Amino acid sequence: MSSSSIAIVILLAIGALFCVIGVVGMWRMREPTQALHYMNLPATVGIACVTVAVLLQTGFSSALIKSSVIALILLSINSVVTHATARAFYIRNQNRGRSNRPPWDFSREEQQ
Amino acid sequence: MNAWEIAGSIVSATLLLCADMCLRGSPERRLVGLEMTGVIVTIALICFTVGFGRLPLMDLPLALSVMSLGGALVFARFLEKHL
Repeated sequence: MSSSSIAIVILLAIGALFCVIGVVGMWRMREPTQALHYMNLPATVGIACVTVAVLLQTGFSSALIKSSVIALILLSINSVVTHATARAFYIRNQNRGRSNRPPWDFSREEQQ
Repeated sequence: MNAWEIAGSIVSATLLLCADMCLRGSPERRLVGLEMTGVIVTIALICFTVGFGRLPLMDLPLALSVMSLGGALVFARFLEKHL
């Protein structure tokens, strides 16, 4: 087993581990705004490790270019989407007449 | 199975939790689950593309990454205004 193969396995393990941690953390959080934070784990570390592993596996190829573009898209647009989603939650919460509650409080939504 | 296929399988297994997020709870939680699903499926498709040696199929996760994040923005806007 060459050193590049070992590096690929380690990078893929780290990427998959961060994806699992991100999804389990998102699933465990009760509030949607808390769960939003966990989207950044696979969208930053996960895709970065996979892109470096693609570099080691295929060299400088079209697959590496496309994987790098995917990484750039996820790194740049994911923060925008997260911010827009949190803003939508905030405005939705305000419009529902719950201004006396903090904007991250979505509990007991069904009872009101 | 090589390392890419194992990694893709592990990442794909987390889609069960994403499906649970999308199918239960408030609309806010469902939207968060949908956004996470787009990111996870993109990474899984990259792993499977390299693992199976079908490198031209790398266009699929590339298109999915653009479309899923754009779709999430539309859903967020819809949730904010109309739902």
